[in-house]
Amino acid sequence: MLQKKICMLGGFSVGKTSLVRRFVQSIFSETYLTTVGVKIDKKSVALPDKTVDLILWDLAGEDDIGSFRVSHVRGATGLVLVVDGTRAATLAAALTLRERVEAEFGAMPFVLLFNKSDLADRWVIPDSEIDELRQLGWQIYLTSALTGEHVDDAFRQLASMVAK
Amino acid sequence: METLRQLLVSREISELSRVTHLLDEPEQLAAAVGGVLPSAAARAPHAQLGEALAPAVERAVQRSIQKSPRTLTDILYPVFLPAIRKSIGERIDQTFQSLNETLRHIFTWHGLKWRFESWRTGASFSEVVLKHSLVYRIEHAFLINRNSGLLIAHVTADNATSEDPQLISSMLSAIQDFVKDSFNEKEQSSLDTIRFGDLRLWSEVGPFATLVSVIRGNPPEELHEIIRDVLLRIHEESSEALEQFEGDSSQLAGVEAQLQTCVELKQEESNQGFPWLVVTAALLLSILAGGWFFLSWQSAQRWQAYVSRWQAYVSRLEAHPGIIVAEQQVRDGQFYIAGLRDPLAADPQSLLSGTQVDPAQVHSQWQFYQSLEPEFVLKRLTASLAPPDSVRLSIDNDRIVAEGEAPDTWIDRARAAAQQLSVGGPVFDISRVRDVSPEVLEAERWQAYVSRLGTQPGIIVAEQKIHDGQFYIAGLRDPLGADPQSLLSGTQVDPARVHSQWQFYQSLEPEFVLKRLTASLYPPDTVRLSIVNDRIVAEGEAPDTWIDRARAAARQLSAGGPEFDISKVRDVSPEARAAEHWQYYVSRLEAQSGIIVAQQTARGGHFYISGLRDPLAADPQALLSGTEVDPARVHSQWQFYQSLDPKFVVKRLTASLTPPKSVQLSIIQGRIVVVGEAPAAWINRAQAAAEQLSADGVVLDVSQLRELNLAELNHLREAIQTTDIFFSSGKVVPGPEQTPVLDRLADQIKEFAQSARKSGVTARFMLTGHSDTTGRETANASISAARAETVRALLNKRGVAPELLLVRGAGTFEPAVPENSQTGSSTNRRVSVTVNLD
Ligand SMILES: Nc1nc2c(ncn2[C@@H]2O[C@H](COP(=O)(O)OP(=O)(O)OP(=O)(O)O)[C@@H](O)[C@H]2O)c(=O)[nH]1
Ligand SMILES: [Mg+2]
Repeated sequence: MLQKKICMLGGFSVGKTSLVRRFVQSIFSETYLTTVGVKIDKKSVALPDKTVDLILWDLAGEDDIGSFRVSHVRGATGLVLVVDGTRAATLAAALTLRERVEAEFGAMPFVLLFNKSDLADRWVIPDSEIDELRQLGWQIYLTSALTGEHVDDAFRQLASMVAK
Repeated sequence: METLRQLLVSREISELSRVTHLLDEPEQLAAAVGGVLPSAAARAPHAQLGEALAPAVERAVQRSIQKSPRTLTDILYPVFLPAIRKSIGERIDQTFQSLNETLRHIFTWHGLKWRFESWRTGASFSEVVLKHSLVYRIEHAFLINRNSGLLIAHVTADNATSEDPQLISSMLSAIQDFVKDSFNEKEQSSLDTIRFGDLRLWSEVGPFATLVSVIRGNPPEELHEIIRDVLLRIHEESSEALEQFEGDSSQLAGVEAQLQTCVELKQEESNQGFPWLVVTAALLLSILAGGWFFLSWQSAQRWQAYVSRWQAYVSRLEAHPGIIVAEQQVRDGQFYIAGLRDPLAADPQSLLSGTQVDPAQVHSQWQFYQSLEPEFVLKRLTASLAPPDSVRLSIDNDRIVAEGEAPDTWIDRARAAAQQLSVGGPVFDISRVRDVSPEVLEAERWQAYVSRLGTQPGIIVAEQKIHDGQFYIAGLRDPLGADPQSLLSGTQVDPARVHSQWQFYQSLEPEFVLKRLTASLYPPDTVRLSIVNDRIVAEGEAPDTWIDRARAAARQLSAGGPEFDISKVRDVSPEARAAEHWQYYVSRLEAQSGIIVAQQTARGGHFYISGLRDPLAADPQALLSGTEVDPARVHSQWQFYQSLDPKFVVKRLTASLTPPKSVQLSIIQGRIVVVGEAPAAWINRAQAAAEQLSADGVVLDVSQLRELNLAELNHLREAIQTTDIFFSSGKVVPGPEQTPVLDRLADQIKEFAQSARKSGVTARFMLTGHSDTTGRETANASISAARAETVRALLNKRGVAPELLLVRGAGTFEPAVPENSQTGSSTNRRVSVTVNLD
């Protein structure tokens, strides 16, 4: 039995809970219930050579890094950084959260998700900016918890990164 | 009794009201909630508004947490208050429930015993209950990585089930985090006990792993030590693997054996598996509330364990059914006890042995009474009723139940006893004793037969009775149903004593109706009749004629009988019907004049047609409308031809001959008859056409055509044609003396032209110019033409349509008089007029 603790990080209301729900239960809901504290879910991912159980810690979204409970990330082997593509500020928030976590626990694999890709008309992140981040060798996905687009791909990618 | 009750439960009642008051303390609640959600609280009744505000309120709470983490606990408290209050509310409800339960069973033996003890020792009733039920079992052991909260190993006791140990493991560590953060606990200390109802989660924290035990029941404190030992041993054995644990538990397989020793720990076998699934659900829902329970539980941990030998004896007595200890006392080294005992109960004195209480120091006072506890009542009943061997008495849920067979005399006695008992005592249920008197047996058999008949379809029992050992039955039966006589076999009813009277009737029960329908409707092989929910359902395929018959039958049935549903029978006739529609269309085409159908077939649902059509005939395509033939499936091939049908011939003649208005073409008995008046030229053309047509066998009768009668016009024509316009020598414009002539001529021409047009004839007027012979011939020719042109212009000026006027120059060639005569030259210089009709 191989398990890995994964933390969902990102600003307020970017869709962390929705992504986990989409990935684990294949459902989506419009209604927004903010996460208080932490919600834990589990999903087994079958990789070519093994199966890894992802224990997904869905943390409350924080726009303010000051109040972030870094202790929840202790022991995690991977991060899912979530950005809301319709709110530019959430990109900065996600990057800051990652820095904070790295400062505390050292570098760890992560995927960067630009979520809500279905809301094309309200999209504010320029492609050039995403390309720049890709140049750094980062794993980046444009996801939608609503349609499910690229959600599985992103989690599978992370699963294969942490299972090494 | 009232005082006794006061004595026993007043403490609980006051305690409860205190707790309820504390929880509902309005100021505290209002202050806490009001501080965070003032406006929301003000508008609480508007559910929708509350929902709309929820995210903003949540946001506000988060902000305030961010500002001052030190008061986190204080701020969290009101946020969680509703949830916690709800949980507490439920707990209180439960307590009430169990208390009510207890009050109701105040005289059950455990209840009484424990209440006396509580009263005697000063411990609360619940403490006494707890003490007496000190049984526990470790149902689950989780070994959890301290760092990541990932599950290292999990072991379960037999019969215990669990949701998802991996998830639970992570959640437990999240709770630990929460408590640590919320209550400013130091890093090393951690949440070590959580309690959910009967279930406790104990956690022991080691350097690398935490061992969480899920314990059902009431474990002794010493159990902590034992669990700690297990954790220590696990760390000793596998400290390296534990330290390096990264989610792969395969290296730590040996740990399970250690955990297993933990799970085997228990005191006294528990009856059944705890509803662990339910508890897990509660765990998931109230992760955070769990933190609170932790606090409240600690305060509930105070209990004492002192029990003296005497008290052991007293409790032993109290535990005995049929003994009620009313009072007991220790005074001056002597033991005093008083109470009630049932003569059938154990002897209190003899129970002293083995208690190490000196009998000499015991002073008892016992009064006999009849215990109403079921087991005593059972004993007394057994003694007094002497039930036969075929009857068994037993206790079932505090009721005494008699089962088996007995003659009616015994049953009567038992019934009397049951009636006597009813006041205050347990219920004595004799309904399960079967009366086995011989007549009763026979009657039972007869009833079995009757009810057997009753369940038979097609048999209606109208009346039945037993009289003088004879059985009488009357009713109706369907001839298609079973024979009542033959049903007697195997019932042990003597046929010789059965007197039946059956009348035949037609049962409306579905199966009979089905049989009759099958016989009358002769359904084709492709139709299946069956009974579905008391309805007769026909399925399959049939021609519409059969469906019509079935429909008629269904309609007839409707009154009172079962429904006959033929909606599932497919009409196989559509193709046939489509073919009919097609044939109708074809015949419609054939009836059309100017259309000749040469060939037509229907093949594979498509229709093919070919033939001839006159361009003047109706459009075959347009004729499709209203025939219900699908145009998309019609494939036509039409060749144009000229129809010799008189109607078409008339049309064509009208188009080509353009008969004058005075002429009428009509068809009389297949012949085309032309009547009326026409100019000779037109009559000639009509005659030519008639000849041509006669070769094709069409008769065009022009014999009744009369030449147009222009008699009236002849006079006018004469006048026009005798008019000449004269010119001076060498002139092409007539002199002024000619003006009245021109005026008159113009009027005459106009009148003539109009009259001719009325007769359907066009009149044209030829103006011919002439010259005298003076001068060169060529000059004369041009002068003559010029004179004609001039006259045309002058007539035109006078209102004559120019297209009616033709001009020509005749030069000297058509002299009116010989040139050498006296007036020759001047008479010949003129323009003459001739009238043409066409
Ligand atoms: N259109 C669209 N809406 C989304 C998508 N993902 C999430 N949402 C919506 O965004 C809102 C927030 O989603 P959550 O998943 O609760 O966000 P969160 O990151 O968990 O928020 P916090 O727990 O408060 O940090 C909800 O109303 C979702 O329905 C997406 O891909 N497309
Ligand atoms: Mg969330």
